[in-house]
Amino acid sequence: MRGPRLALALWLLGAAANSAAIAAPFQIQQVAAGVFVHLGQPLDLEAPGHDDIANIGFIVGSRCVAVIDTGGSVRVGRALLAAIRQRTRTPICYVINTHVHVDHVLGNAAFTASHASFIGHAALPEAIARNRLYFLQHYPEDLDAPATAQQIIAPDRRVQDGLDLDLGGRRLQLRAWPVAHTDCDLTVLDESTRTLFTGDLLFRERLPAVDGDVSGWLNVIDELARMSVKRAIPGHGPPTTDLESALVPERRYLRALLDGVRSAIDMGQSLPEAIDGVAAAEKSQWLLWDSTHPRNVTRVYQQLEWK
Amino acid sequence: MFATLPFASIVVLAGSAAAPAENQSPTDDAWGNLRIQYYGERELTIADSAAFTLEAPSNTPDPTATALTVRFGGADIGHIRQLRVFIDNNPSPVASTFDFAEGARVAEIGMRVRVDRWTSIRAIAETTDGQLQMHSTWVNAAGGCSAAPSPAAGGALGEIRFHNTPDGRSLQIAIRHPNNSGFQIDPLSGNPIPPHYVSHIRFSSNGHAIMDVDAGISLSENPTLRIASDSALPAPLSVEVTDSHDAHFNANWHGAVSAGETISDAAVTPR
Repeated sequence: MRGPRLALALWLLGAAANSAAIAAPFQIQQVAAGVFVHLGQPLDLEAPGHDDIANIGFIVGSRCVAVIDTGGSVRVGRALLAAIRQRTRTPICYVINTHVHVDHVLGNAAFTASHASFIGHAALPEAIARNRLYFLQHYPEDLDAPATAQQIIAPDRRVQDGLDLDLGGRRLQLRAWPVAHTDCDLTVLDESTRTLFTGDLLFRERLPAVDGDVSGWLNVIDELARMSVKRAIPGHGPPTTDLESALVPERRYLRALLDGVRSAIDMGQSLPEAIDGVAAAEKSQWLLWDSTHPRNVTRVYQQLEWK
Repeated sequence: MFATLPFASIVVLAGSAAAPAENQSPTDDAWGNLRIQYYGERELTIADSAAFTLEAPSNTPDPTATALTVRFGGADIGHIRQLRVFIDNNPSPVASTFDFAEGARVAEIGMRVRVDRWTSIRAIAETTDGQLQMHSTWVNAAGGCSAAPSPAAGGALGEIRFHNTPDGRSLQIAIRHPNNSGFQIDPLSGNPIPPHYVSHIRFSSNGHAIMDVDAGISLSENPTLRIASDSALPAPLSVEVTDSHDAHFNANWHGAVSAGETISDAAVTPR
């Protein structure tokens, strides 16, 4: 949705879901020294547990902890906070959001008492402003009752191009990207372990959802593939020690999507014809195809018919 | 060939749908009134699906842009006088009314609509001998009429694009227009966005109207219509668009010159 439509297209069905229970216990793994990750579930958007579908995590320095995404509910954010507190008393200085989607930001409110600085892409504050009403109306059960707009926290610090954060003994490199998965994608690289949190610029196993610009995303993928990292934490799906290879399926799908929709429009095919035909060979390679692919085609078709 | 019924239902029904309940079963309540309003006591038969079909996704991928396709086959081609598409539970249930010129060999009409909540969608065709046929289907959706405009919207108001099949039998027109429903809120200011929509589209060839479309707020942002025939569409084809601010836009399609290629004049003339 472009902001609002994101919400609409991506998360519509989640609104009908039952109040989601977090699978107990809240699992955390240390993927590198001081780098902790909670893996989200590969659930459908209408399934119970829809608030715990994204990978989220934190990085511990000698002076500061940085949180990277907070999950799709205040409940999940609080579970992450508890997991941090089980491991360290180091102050949480930063809460970084990789982009605007609910499954990555709705847990922010769990961290307000930490007096952390909320950090995001320069376009994130507006993206959150565009979506705040929608989130409030469609995800009240993922906020504390009574749900209020104030619980949907926007960044107080914006990253225009890049920003380095010193956690004490380790430095994070934040990078803001051009429009790709969304218009506010941000990655976080931990220099000392060369661990990259890609946000939703990398989907593994779960079908990538397009809420920004496919061409832009393909460009970003090429740049990510050239980065020298030891491991990458995707926004969805298992971590990898081979980022370049992990990007291959995503690139292949997005390329098929872009080329397929462009060709469909050029041949005068209707939107339903494009939904049925475009990138059909990819279907068996991905989770959640039936709910995500039609949205992707619809979105890209609407963009390309004006190009 | 202009439709004779005013586009009035938006005013009549707007109040009752200000706060649509989500996940409610589609009900027939709205339809009972609409049927009387538009067709009185006339007999309305369920269409023979071999001749006349309506396709829509049962769960829409995008409530703001749900694709509907109406197809006519066999004896219906060339014998349809009017097609009206209802979205029962939308604040303005009549999505569009298409009036066809006598003998117009229309095989398919496609459109993209806003769907506000779970609803029946109906296509009702009136044949040239005065028979009414109906097809209906359910679509599950939420919030299609109140969703905020896309931030990517914009471009030149009234710009018109054509995309045709190589055989020239099928043509899609897309109109750059916000088609604001009147139920949207500007998410940044919190202010309501007033309705501003494409109200009428006329297709004509050599000065003769082929199809007149009364449209409204249920059409998606950047409204699109697709028309297909069982033979090549007449060219040049002139498209004249009028919106609710009485702005006029027009463009000409010069036919299927070669595979996938379209030439358009896109003569945008807001007055």
